[in-house]
Amino acid sequence: METNSEKLSAQQSLDIIADMIDQAKGSVQQNSFYFLLWGWTILIANLGMFSLIKLHYEYPYAIWLITIPPWLYSLYQGYNRDGSAKSVTHLGKITVWLWLSFGIVIFTLVVFGYQINFHLNPVILVVSAMPTLLSGIVIKFKPLIVGGIVFWVMGIICFMVPTDIQYLVGALAILGGYIIPGYMLKTKQA
Amino acid sequence: MLNDLDPLLHSQLRLGIMSLLISLESAEFIFLREKTNSTAGNLSVQLDKLSEAGYIKIEKSFKGKKPLTTCKITRKGIKAFEDYVNTLKQYIHK
Repeated sequence: METNSEKLSAQQSLDIIADMIDQAKGSVQQNSFYFLLWGWTILIANLGMFSLIKLHYEYPYAIWLITIPPWLYSLYQGYNRDGSAKSVTHLGKITVWLWLSFGIVIFTLVVFGYQINFHLNPVILVVSAMPTLLSGIVIKFKPLIVGGIVFWVMGIICFMVPTDIQYLVGALAILGGYIIPGYMLKTKQA
Repeated sequence: MLNDLDPLLHSQLRLGIMSLLISLESAEFIFLREKTNSTAGNLSVQLDKLSEAGYIKIEKSFKGKKPLTTCKITRKGIKAFEDYVNTLKQYIHK
């Protein structure tokens, strides 16, 4: 582009504006990596919890310690930001804050869970529906929208089944909410 | 013709930069250079002009060891851009 301003007509100005806005639009970049990282971690934790309860292990909750490395990794990545992001769209920024607030909500629920005897499973599933569904809408990706609905439906089912079964429902929810859409997103990006 | 238009915006490259930034939360120098297809030197000069006018905010930081320049449109910049587009509309409707 030149800086010459002398012969810029109204039409040329409009063309530049339209062209640049079009260039900036792009799509919000969404990384399938986090869905798969968290999908598999939570799936293993849920199934592990279920198995340990069935084996009458004294501290089945210990399995949730496996979520610590993904937490640290996600925080580290969040701090360092995505190396390839050369521009940030308004929706992109909202998506990041959506997941960040979701993380804070889940963290708060887990830390203060003892106050309600850790009856958290249905609540966590219902809350998970929101960022998943909205991310799907932002990136216009149907499987993720369906994933959000899966979380919500599984959350409702979770309210109605015994505690040990809740972990199996949780595993199913993660499969439909994160893992399947995550792989579909990965295939789409490849 | 078109002499009422903000001279700061009525230039191909500066208008291009502002049109990109109005659609984004923020953009890196490299992104702006690629999209506007300009040279680093020229882009740098035009960014400084827009920054001096208070239309954009330039933040310099580091990504690893590489210097990183991030640009963001300001409220004043948004207002100027809107005024520019409105004036443009009048010319077209004439």
